[in-house]
Amino acid sequence: MDNTKKAPRNKAALFAAIWLVTYTICLFTIKKLSPGASTGIILSLLPVVTFALFIYTLIRGVASMDEVQIRIQMEAAVIAFSLALLMIMTLGLLDLVITLNKEDWGYRHVVPYFAIFYFIGLIISKRKYD
Amino acid sequence: MKNTIKVERAKKNWTQADLAEKIAVSRQAVNSIETGKFVPSTVLALKMAGVFGTTVEIIFQLENTD
Repeated sequence: MDNTKKAPRNKAALFAAIWLVTYTICLFTIKKLSPGASTGIILSLLPVVTFALFIYTLIRGVASMDEVQIRIQMEAAVIAFSLALLMIMTLGLLDLVITLNKEDWGYRHVVPYFAIFYFIGLIISKRKYD
Repeated sequence: MKNTIKVERAKKNWTQADLAEKIAVSRQAVNSIETGKFVPSTVLALKMAGVFGTTVEIIFQLENTD
């Protein structure tokens, strides 16, 4: 595989890192510094911009892949989506029975699981086609 | 679906990486097609036939289970 095809994927990884840093900084600032409502809303929406850039470069990166790599990505996304749905569904049902601690199971706490599910899917799918 | 990619590569003395470069895909793609884990698109199959100087029917054959 030539380097020209790797470039869009490296760019996606770079934007993923930028989004992660932005998200972490915003999360830390909101939690620790307790800014006002308007600043808080701006900080909450700031990662949306970097996330949109990340998704845009990710889609461009996938488009530059060959058909086997696209299949791997697609299967990884399906696995991640299924696991994420399963998690949300289970948490939703559990929340009816026991009160889940919002400091452990709030929206922001489930975000890292989605990334973990994607990498689980990627490992499974890569093994299938290796 | 069975294929004769390995045989055709051997005739040309090409590695999987050589073939991958010629048809502009990853070596992993060539490996998964060669081992029958992935069935390529018509375009890719035609590209393969083109670089081997043969036809798609020679490289790919249906099995009874297909």
